[in-house]
Amino acid sequence: MNTDVEDLLRDGMERFTEGVAAPAGLAHAAGRLHRRRVAVRATLASSAATVIAVSAVIAVIAASGATAGRTQAQTVADLTRQVRQAVANDNLVYVGRTNGTDGPDVVWAYGRQSRWVEYWPATDYRDRVVNGKRLWDFPPQYRGQAFSVEGTALVGGKLMGAYVIYSDRKYNLSRQLPTQSSACTTTGALEMGGPATVGVNWKSFIDGMLACGAASATPRVRVNGAETTKIIGKPVTVRLPAGYSKVIRAKWVTVRWALYVNPATFLPVQIEGSTKTYGGAAGTYLSSGVTDVQWLPPTKANVARTLVIIPAGFQRVSLGEV
Amino acid sequence: MAQDPTDGELESFLAGRADRLMRTAVLLTGSRDAGQDLLQTALERLIRHWRRIDGDPEGYLLRTLCNLATDGFRRRGLLQRKLLLLRTVAQPPADPMAEVDLRDALVRLLLQLPARQRAVLVLRYWEQLTEAETAAVLGWPEGTVKSTAARGLRRLRELADGWNQPDPALAHVRLRGDHA
Repeated sequence: MNTDVEDLLRDGMERFTEGVAAPAGLAHAAGRLHRRRVAVRATLASSAATVIAVSAVIAVIAASGATAGRTQAQTVADLTRQVRQAVANDNLVYVGRTNGTDGPDVVWAYGRQSRWVEYWPATDYRDRVVNGKRLWDFPPQYRGQAFSVEGTALVGGKLMGAYVIYSDRKYNLSRQLPTQSSACTTTGALEMGGPATVGVNWKSFIDGMLACGAASATPRVRVNGAETTKIIGKPVTVRLPAGYSKVIRAKWVTVRWALYVNPATFLPVQIEGSTKTYGGAAGTYLSSGVTDVQWLPPTKANVARTLVIIPAGFQRVSLGEV
Repeated sequence: MAQDPTDGELESFLAGRADRLMRTAVLLTGSRDAGQDLLQTALERLIRHWRRIDGDPEGYLLRTLCNLATDGFRRRGLLQRKLLLLRTVAQPPADPMAEVDLRDALVRLLLQLPARQRAVLVLRYWEQLTEAETAAVLGWPEGTVKSTAARGLRRLRELADGWNQPDPALAHVRLRGDHA
């Protein structure tokens, strides 16, 4: 036995892994995971402001036949002012649930506190059998599971920026809290079009969106059975920063957004966003999402859910390692 | 490499190597699912550091696989051992010689070794790297590789010798063929 344990071990390893093959789309999945992380980092770290073109002019509310009498009664500017005021004055916990092309996410926010959880998609659009081989994009066991959480954590009584990657069991803490950039910047535009990449102060975020300008508004649009007023933002086109551009292989991004607000409270009940990247080797890629918004009373339990909890046993690492 | 790899570049790099790397990952973790996770995480890191890698990325990938597996098993070591014990059936097989294969048993025993010893043995006897190549991949001194491999093999021999001898505690153990 002493002489041939190495050979037996080799044979055993061969037998143990017999028939094991790398799943299809492994490189694609890894690349996608990487680009997703870079996109998140880019939106949170970048501060360049390079809005190239802001089209559209504030228009009056487009009136349907039924509301012809009120056509000129209220400008979009008036409406956005009221919404900004409502968002600024409330003392409620914001909960935004997004379903988008990059998978679902949930944001809980209150004051300076926020917790943004990204999930792996519950289903896989590539999950199909072709020529007897199952193709998939994400590891099946991850589906519907939390991928990362980002926001603020209470550490020693102090509020800190926190970022946790569950699959790696790692986290990063930073003194820098998530900050809100103006919607009229590159960062803001990216955030605006992709609610899935926002882990910031949502009151400021909505305020920033509106401050950047709205193109039109339409009353009496039904969302989830309730009447709302739809505010459509000005489309924003931005030349991407060089580093980000190289990663996603596109030079330009055009962002569109729309808010649906409660006509009585003026608080948003739904946000639509889309980000289209183009002008590079990757071709055109459209990512979009719809966020359903709830405003909850600031009970102890609700406020607690706006904080990131670092799971026990996770390793603290520098930002570059998460 | 001057820039991040595209999906196509990565696919080209993986062509012909992906299955082998997947099997290495399975050996390092002990299961197909964990191996998939490990390989995907390592690939994501490869993409992240693509421009800084000098030379063949395969070495970087192997090193990342081993380091990640070592870290993971440091945390999950207890659970892993428990799971392996649960897979062990305490009833003697009807025909031990027919059902028990020492090669399978050795791999099971390999998975119970400390992660560093397992990583060295996988690189040495699966990847068939020399001690110097193993040291280069892991970033360890060659002497450390040598002593770690020797300790791992010694442990396997002890366990295997015990298997061959009429030790009731080991002889009654039947290891299921949980091939990944």
